[in-house]
Amino acid sequence: MKEIVNNSEELCKYLKKMIIDTLKLEEITAEEIKDDAPLFKEGLGLDSIDALELVVAIENIFNVIIEDEDVGKRAFASVNTLARFIQEEYNQGK
Amino acid sequence: MVRFNEVDQWGMAWYGHYMAWFEVGRMALLGRFDLMPGQMVDLGYIAPVIALKCDFKHAAACGDKIIIRTTVVKPKIAALTFNFEVLLKEDRTLLARGETTQVLLTTGRKMIYRLSGELEKRINSLVNFCQQE
Repeated sequence: MKEIVNNSEELCKYLKKMIIDTLKLEEITAEEIKDDAPLFKEGLGLDSIDALELVVAIENIFNVIIEDEDVGKRAFASVNTLARFIQEEYNQGK
Repeated sequence: MVRFNEVDQWGMAWYGHYMAWFEVGRMALLGRFDLMPGQMVDLGYIAPVIALKCDFKHAAACGDKIIIRTTVVKPKIAALTFNFEVLLKEDRTLLARGETTQVLLTTGRKMIYRLSGELEKRINSLVNFCQQE
């Protein structure tokens, strides 16, 4: 996992797949998700329950905790910000 | 007991009243674990319902005695899911089956993504109780 986390491109790919698998998104492929597009509302259109599902997946996979909406707003702004957030938290915890 | 003002022109309990009956079950269960709305606020949280579904199986009539069977699903995410069954008391005929989902916000309207502290303790007690039933 450490190798994926520290490779931004790989991590973004991994996160897109994680989002699709966790939320069982059927109408979109990983390639269609842009690195800098918003995940919620106008972007992928995810909602608050989706955020809760992603939080659990991220905690299980990376052991990185997203405590509440304040942290979530920063972390879930886009795939890019989520990758950066996970990199920072993951490396801090190790 | 289904009241006169709860039935429609066709003599069946009006569908919207089932949600009010769910609330009777929810309050009875929450009260046992010090999770009544006011007690949640004292802890610093509110728990608005964000999703609701209900399947209607049989019609209840005015004067029917009903049972509301209520349970909480073990949460995988930081949300509370209640399941409800409305049964005819007489022969346990299933009248309706429903589900609500509540998310947890701080009283400052900030959504929380993980349970912690006293709130988590009380919700765990509630969930454990429901799993034993």
